[in-house]
Amino acid sequence: MSPVVLGGCILNDAMLYEACSGCVRHAITEVWTVTFFTGPRVGLVPQRLGIALLAVGLAFACTLSLQPHFPYPFLFLFFGAVMVSAWFGGTTIGLATVLMSTLLVDYFFVPPYYSFSISATAEAYFAAFVVCALAASWVSSAKRKTEEALKEALDHLEVRVSERTAELLKTQTELARLSQALSMGELTASIAHEINQPLTAVVTHGHACIEWLSATPPNLEKTRQTVERIIQDGTRAGAVIKRVRALFKKEAPTKNWIDVNEVVHELTTFLHDEATRRHVAIRTELVPGLPKVKADRVQLQQVVLNLIVNGMDAVADIADDRKEIRISTRAEGAEVAVQVEDFGTGLDAETAERIFSPFYTTKAHGTGLGLSLSRSIIEAHDGRLWVSPRSSGGAVFQFTLPIRPRDTDG
Amino acid sequence: MADARPIVYVVDDDESVRDAISNLLESVGLRAKVFAATEAFWKAARPDAPSCLVLDVRLPGASGIEFQETLINSGMLIPVIFITAHGDVRMTSRAMKAGAIEFLMKPFQKEELLAAVHHGLERDRIRRVEEAEISALQSRVEQLTQREREVMDLVVTGLINKEIGAQLGLSEVTVKIHRSRVMQKMEAASLAELVRMADKLKPRFQTVQR
Repeated sequence: MSPVVLGGCILNDAMLYEACSGCVRHAITEVWTVTFFTGPRVGLVPQRLGIALLAVGLAFACTLSLQPHFPYPFLFLFFGAVMVSAWFGGTTIGLATVLMSTLLVDYFFVPPYYSFSISATAEAYFAAFVVCALAASWVSSAKRKTEEALKEALDHLEVRVSERTAELLKTQTELARLSQALSMGELTASIAHEINQPLTAVVTHGHACIEWLSATPPNLEKTRQTVERIIQDGTRAGAVIKRVRALFKKEAPTKNWIDVNEVVHELTTFLHDEATRRHVAIRTELVPGLPKVKADRVQLQQVVLNLIVNGMDAVADIADDRKEIRISTRAEGAEVAVQVEDFGTGLDAETAERIFSPFYTTKAHGTGLGLSLSRSIIEAHDGRLWVSPRSSGGAVFQFTLPIRPRDTDG
Repeated sequence: MADARPIVYVVDDDESVRDAISNLLESVGLRAKVFAATEAFWKAARPDAPSCLVLDVRLPGASGIEFQETLINSGMLIPVIFITAHGDVRMTSRAMKAGAIEFLMKPFQKEELLAAVHHGLERDRIRRVEEAEISALQSRVEQLTQREREVMDLVVTGLINKEIGAQLGLSEVTVKIHRSRVMQKMEAASLAELVRMADKLKPRFQTVQR
């Protein structure tokens, strides 16, 4: 393949070109990072070489001025210069410093002076100097490299940790949504049934209407009665939808003055069908005229829904005549209390303690998030949510909400 | 008796649904009787007529499916048509295996419900005719003497008089006399008819024995 063709190919193929240039750019960055940059990002080769020259120059000047005070060649400062240069400049610069120092020492401080030749007596001394300088350069640059690697590993670790944290947060959010969806699913099934019943009646009456009209002679009295029933059932379906709208009204997560009894009443109405299907009796004892509390409606519904569904689950395995949950509300001092009592199997002390921890569940298909979310919702409202066992089996879940929240912001 | 005016029972806890179904049934000339719960249906006086039961699956107390089992166990062979707002496959197959005519999802079309109801009534009518026939045969069998019963049992297996005589220790002539009495009392014109009668009675005996 001729270079022209190859060149043409590369130029014509934008993607390949992009890939190649990307590779080259990446390689350059890599080389710069590895070879030229080290430590506290001192800079480019000239700067490093400058540091090396400065260190050697300084060592040379000091040694020159100090030498008259010593009877032997005073060379220790050069080791310092070598170490500094190797630290900031890496192995290559370190070796260059060793070379410069060796030449300077040989010329100026090893007899015969001002000559590159070495007298026989100084040979061993000079050799020792070179070896020590090399060792100092190696130790310094190696130490530097280790530190670099360690730093890089730490950075890498930090990135991994933040990545994993983000992943876990995402999973947690997902699970929270799932938990909400599960209890919402039961509510939805119940609502669907509520709407389907009048709808079935409307369709069936409609068919009957046609039959009454097709009779000879048409039975107008029956037709009129049937149409009246259609209107009734249609109105009933409309009322259900109206209630659903009120229940799911998308309000911003702001706190409004809410009647807790109303929330309980709405949910028990909607869960009526689900409870019937499970053969569970839901009884309510709602104290009338309860003071309103400042709370997020949707969140409060979530908590009550969760407690009721839990209650129904708790009585799932016991005899039908004892399948009952009791929901009561009351005002207690400066608080409103809501209590969901079941007559189920109850829970032991250990379970009672752990039941509010995230991911702890006693159900085969539970997420272990319902109660933990409920507690955080109630605590965000300055209230408390707790469980206590009933003496004759079953459990009592209670939560309180302050009538005047601590931050009375209106 | 068998041609008495058929009746359709409807059990649904939702008033508007059961009223609508009864209205539709009446509009096509069928007699309907509605109940809010299975207990009420159970206790109600049921006229002697071909009937079927339109049963809601989801009911307070025992579910419709459970009630179907109660009916079967108590020997009440009324055809059942289930109606439900949310049926799943498991529930449907359980109901169908237990002999349900149809499993209808609410809201259902007129044709679906009426076809199922007519199918159910027809099945019940046939069952009633067969039952009447069997009980008539039963009363004829009861007129037979012990010996005649034995002879009849062997005749219908295809044995000839000689073989029957050998098995029962009787003379061929005696067997012949018993045999003609059997034919007379059972009102069978031919051996083939007697065999058919025995066949019809057989499942009954087995059911009773079980």
